[in-house]
Amino acid sequence: MTVFSLIIINKAGGLVYQREFQPGLRKLSTNDYLVLAGTFHGVHAITRSITPKLPLSTASTAATTPTSSNMPPTPGIPNSFTPGSAFTFPNPGTPATGLECLETDKFRLTCFQTLTGTKFLLFTDPIMGNIDVVMKKVYELYADYVMKNPFYQLEMPVRCEAFDRHLGGWLRGRT
Amino acid sequence: MVVYSFYIFDRHAECIYNRRWVPRPSSMIGKSSRPTSETSTTTNTLPPVLGHSARTTDDDAKLIFGTVFSLRNMVRKLGGEDDSFVTYRTSQYKLHYYETPTNIKFVMLTDLKSPSMRVALQQIYINLYVEYVVKNPLSPVEHPGGVGVNNELFEESLEQFVTRVLS
Amino acid sequence: MAHPPRHSAMLSLSNSGSSANSDKQQPPQQIQHIANTGLRVPSNRKTIYDRHLNRSRNAEISRSSFAFLFGEMVTYAQRRVTGIQDLEKRLNEQGYPMGLRLLDLLYYRTITSSTSSSLASSSTSTAPPNRPLRILPLLHLIHGPLWRLLFNRPADALEHSVSPDTPNEYMITDNDPLVNAYVSVPKEMHMLNCAAFVAGIIEGVCDGCGFEAKVTAHNQPTELWPGRTIFLVRFGESVMEREKVLERAGIK
Repeated sequence: MTVFSLIIINKAGGLVYQREFQPGLRKLSTNDYLVLAGTFHGVHAITRSITPKLPLSTASTAATTPTSSNMPPTPGIPNSFTPGSAFTFPNPGTPATGLECLETDKFRLTCFQTLTGTKFLLFTDPIMGNIDVVMKKVYELYADYVMKNPFYQLEMPVRCEAFDRHLGGWLRGRT
Repeated sequence: MVVYSFYIFDRHAECIYNRRWVPRPSSMIGKSSRPTSETSTTTNTLPPVLGHSARTTDDDAKLIFGTVFSLRNMVRKLGGEDDSFVTYRTSQYKLHYYETPTNIKFVMLTDLKSPSMRVALQQIYINLYVEYVVKNPLSPVEHPGGVGVNNELFEESLEQFVTRVLS
Repeated sequence: MAHPPRHSAMLSLSNSGSSANSDKQQPPQQIQHIANTGLRVPSNRKTIYDRHLNRSRNAEISRSSFAFLFGEMVTYAQRRVTGIQDLEKRLNEQGYPMGLRLLDLLYYRTITSSTSSSLASSSTSTAPPNRPLRILPLLHLIHGPLWRLLFNRPADALEHSVSPDTPNEYMITDNDPLVNAYVSVPKEMHMLNCAAFVAGIIEGVCDGCGFEAKVTAHNQPTELWPGRTIFLVRFGESVMEREKVLERAGIK
């Protein structure tokens, strides 16, 4: 399994961490990585907003009305009650997210957004499976060694030697 | 497998064709684009009401173009000039992308269960677009001002391809 | 009542018509109590001070809670400091009173546990440990029982300075200090070791035992233990003189 690199984007779209683990992708300048993080942040929001909306036919509206009328409208899940916005997402019940996984000929990009808005971008080999496990571990290490570090300032670039060390060590142990 | 929509962009970033298999209230259909087709199950039972977020088909096409254009550039930057972005997915849908050597971009939005549509998009390009649009002597070479692909043969065969071959 | 507690004021606001009634319904003693102490007392009137000291003996706290608390302590100590030495001094000062208090708890618990065990076995009971008089028993107390009380394991090494110039220096090694588990010190402050807090605790324990000492924490990373920390214990002149007298007297 190959993990090419990891990028962490803060909730404002700024690049806070970039690290290459294995060669395979082209190296960019620091400025290009900053641009890439900002671009991705914007694209991510757009990919959520272009989610196809399926109009509810009258039959299905009647079926869903009794249940949905008792519940307060949930953000992210369209409420089928208002006329004129009678639509549903393809996967009703799941909140619409932005881009989660992108595939190209050479790599696969997996994006995980935390509830607080931080985005983790993992670039891996396209044939590699179990990215969820890697992503979960990255988030765990981030929560441990970045968020618990008294010298880390929120939303600022991550310069935590313990995070680097544990992340590198864990990934080496898996290969 | 469900196909939600399909777009073609030419090399000037102009949306020259779009089609959706998800009907919208008729007031939201953009003026310059071709009328969208309705699937047989959900016919025009919805009254023409004004959508609260009146984003038109045109706006959607622009947003989709912006997305695939940015992602394509990002992928090229990271993976090299010969790398191309194939597909992405969110929790709700999948977007498939195919770009011809002449810079025409084919984009298709489907549900999450669909397999890779790269071959299908390639087939649409080779068997439908080239056959019925490019080889059509009456079809304009460029589409300034968004005239678009206004071609019955192409539309019908696309409809057949999507409803019969893909589903 | 000069200062009515906040909740009764809110109560009278919410139903202004029957404010006199609601005031009467409140038991007056309880209001007095809250207003005077300012402490939030649980309904059963049991604060943590009412609990038995051994109750939390085997209780553990979450590593994360501690990490966040310690993180805030470091951030707090960092305010208006002039340099790394100043910051370490502040961390040391935070630990010092803890060491003084911990010593009492440590004695209390070792005594109660040894008496209870002697009661249970009713055979040759070991005498309750005395206060250490010499340096070595003190260091063993720190290396073993104190470390176990704090971190649930003994420290990793105990050494005496080999240099003849500094016979008053002893070193206690911890390969991976708990307090530093999640701390990454920025490069420009690489001399800093946040275990200065633990050094403060050790200093408090030494002082509490009557051993005047200065304790500092130093980074000594190795390949295997990147967070290895040495606590350098420097005893004062008076302690070293007393040590000589006690040695001659043959007191252990």
